[in-house]
Amino acid sequence: MDELLAVVGYKVRSSDMAEVAQKLEQLEEAMGNARDGISQLSNDTVHFNPADISNWLETMINNLDRAFEDSSSSDYDLKAIAGKAIYTTAARVKPSPAESSSSTRPLVLVDSQENGIRLVHTLMACAEAVHQNNLSLAEALVKQIGFLAVSQVGAMRKVATYFAEALARRIYGLYPENPIHHSFSDMLQIHFYETCPYLKFAHFTANQAILEAFQGKNRVHVIDFSMNQGMQWPALMQALALRPGGPPAFRLTGIGPPAADNSDHLQEVGWKLAQLAETIHVEFEYRGFVANSLADLDASMLELRPSETEAVAVNSVFELHKLLARPGAVEKVLSVVRQIRPEIVTVVEQEANHNGPGFLDRFTESLHYYSTMFDSLEGSVNSQDKVMSEVYLGKQICNVVACEGVDRVERHETLGQWRTRFGSAGFTPVHLGSNAFKQASMLLALFAGGDGYRVEENNGCLMLGWHTRPLIATSAWQLATKSVVAH
Amino acid sequence: MAGSNEVNLNESRSVVPLNTWVLISNFKLAYNLLRRADGTFNRELAEFLDRKVPSNSIPVHGVWSFDHVDQRIPGLFYRLYLQDSHQRGCAGATVIPDMDKPLSTTDIVPVIIFFHGGSFSHSSANSAIYDTFCRRLVNVSNSVVVSVNYRRSPEHRFPCAYEDGWTALEWVRSRKWLRSGRSESESESKVYVYMAGDSSGGNIVHHVAVRAAEEGIEVLGNILLHPLFGGEKRTESEIRLDGKYFVKLQDRDWYWRAFLPEGEDRDHPACNPFGPRGRSLKGLTSFPKTLVCVAGLDLLQDWQLAYANSLSSFSHHVNLLYLKDATIGFYFLPNNDHFSSLMDQINNFVNPNC
Repeated sequence: MDELLAVVGYKVRSSDMAEVAQKLEQLEEAMGNARDGISQLSNDTVHFNPADISNWLETMINNLDRAFEDSSSSDYDLKAIAGKAIYTTAARVKPSPAESSSSTRPLVLVDSQENGIRLVHTLMACAEAVHQNNLSLAEALVKQIGFLAVSQVGAMRKVATYFAEALARRIYGLYPENPIHHSFSDMLQIHFYETCPYLKFAHFTANQAILEAFQGKNRVHVIDFSMNQGMQWPALMQALALRPGGPPAFRLTGIGPPAADNSDHLQEVGWKLAQLAETIHVEFEYRGFVANSLADLDASMLELRPSETEAVAVNSVFELHKLLARPGAVEKVLSVVRQIRPEIVTVVEQEANHNGPGFLDRFTESLHYYSTMFDSLEGSVNSQDKVMSEVYLGKQICNVVACEGVDRVERHETLGQWRTRFGSAGFTPVHLGSNAFKQASMLLALFAGGDGYRVEENNGCLMLGWHTRPLIATSAWQLATKSVVAH
Repeated sequence: MAGSNEVNLNESRSVVPLNTWVLISNFKLAYNLLRRADGTFNRELAEFLDRKVPSNSIPVHGVWSFDHVDQRIPGLFYRLYLQDSHQRGCAGATVIPDMDKPLSTTDIVPVIIFFHGGSFSHSSANSAIYDTFCRRLVNVSNSVVVSVNYRRSPEHRFPCAYEDGWTALEWVRSRKWLRSGRSESESESKVYVYMAGDSSGGNIVHHVAVRAAEEGIEVLGNILLHPLFGGEKRTESEIRLDGKYFVKLQDRDWYWRAFLPEGEDRDHPACNPFGPRGRSLKGLTSFPKTLVCVAGLDLLQDWQLAYANSLSSFSHHVNLLYLKDATIGFYFLPNNDHFSSLMDQINNFVNPNC
């Protein structure tokens, strides 16, 4: 890779530079010749992964050539072509180089926070004392934090309070009560879903990728590793119902942990979705599957049907990182996913490294991350939703800071780390494009106090963040042997 | 048509390194997609295509960064770049800047407020090209850089960008922790403010500096890197170089139509500060010294040279760096002599006593 271009965000092999230059010239000429070329490239073409200049240019040249040839074709034809473009041309499918291992720690401060600097310094000092096992100092500092926090306002106070509580638990060895009732954690998640766009963005972008992967398939099957209340699926089902040519038959396998009260909540969710399916005339089949851990699954349990008759998507929203608490678990799950032979695997994860080996680094990372998260909630209107969302996030904070070993399940890792993992497990990326980007951006406008949310494109993946700090990342994957020559 | 394009493309390819040519041509074509004939801008596609990077409080090559959001103005934030030696980043236990202490109590640390280019419409303070440039600028000049994410046109026309520049200037000046210099005498510990910008950023620097001078606010120096100025008249360089080195005159016109108030022409003082509707800066004694860098293959050079001449004629101090074979954007990649010449000049400009 040309290093100077890489640093400014573009991936071009030095040996390809002349070829890319030629394509640039070619495209410029084509843009000059096609009368309507530019507006068509701007409005109708779906763009993918602009970091890969060579492929980006190739797509546009092809789109222009095609339009130039049959200038009588209507807009509808062009849209149909765009859907297939998610698969990069086979000749160029090279695994992307492993992400650089140097970590980044983004930091965003807002106006009010300059007063809270002392509080943050005290939190860090306390974490350091804990790290060095100086528990009497840590204890004194925790008390000081409590005192300082009271004089703060807004997000800073709440974040400091949650982190202080987590530190106190770690100091006194009072690990969080577990398991919490699923119904309570589901309820927290629902409030989080309503308050801020993160879950909606996750569902939306994953569904977009699934929809594109299911194009032209008559029977489809979604395996959801993160079923919870099934909030992701009504929108997908409605989109499938509206498909030109009619909806496919839709099968859903929802996987989740057992309920503390032994109720069959997965079935209840399934019934609700079945009712929806009936009203929108989508043929629907459902199975709820209880598992303590995704690693307990085998492909044979999932009643898979031959891939010629049924296309499968595997979906995981904020679940995979939990597997990192047990060695070998994530590798096992990914190998099961391979056996499923899905058209697409959609993954949404927190964009942070909360799984480093050192406590102090984890503490610092999570302090930055959750501070930004809490800041983004401040603008929300409904105060009950906001409080519940804060409790939802507070539990994550507690887990990251106070727990260890198999109890510490909030082992978030960055997109770069997940890319390496998926690459090693035999998957290649499926890129999310400018159409998904645009619609995700429009989704954000619906959230009151939503000024600060930003969608960013990152080498074919989409990230949602607050101001300049990405907070969650959606990526999509296919089996490495499955890459198809596009066009 | 095709024939003349060929000649043009070969010309620009012969004066810049190949990877620079690829980078700037890529921008050129992408930008063609974003400007619509009706004056609107495809902002979603622009944001999709722009390569952005987050801030990083872990030092890289001795420089770390963080973002400060001004919640009163949508999208306005500053990205601050600091050297590890001035303010410890995350390598140690420090998480965020120590806002109780100045940058230095012995040395002067210049604070450069930077306005990125993009013809008022493109790019952001967190665009990778500008993040990279600012980091290099910090190391070359041992300064603190504050990169301003000002509001862009056509959504936010004149004077929004200038207002955001002014807001940034006031914010920077009021940060106790950006002060430097000997603190025995209170008067010498202050924020040593410079302003810098490329293209539209250079234009913003000028206008903010004028206001600062009028209001008695001290700015120690302006750095204008092929700044965006123009006028109704077509100059010789505009005609001669139109379309030859990445830039077409009709595109320049589009950006002015998008930035200036509707119905205005290019002799509006924002575009043409010393033109028929402009004003003299003679007598505005506190207007800062200026470093103007002109690229010899930039079609706007006549306007930029005229600007420098005008400043001289008003008895203001001007350093002119004319880089004969440089095209626009030569400073994005450090693979040419123009880049080092520029950086040397900037370093000497903000560290006059070294």
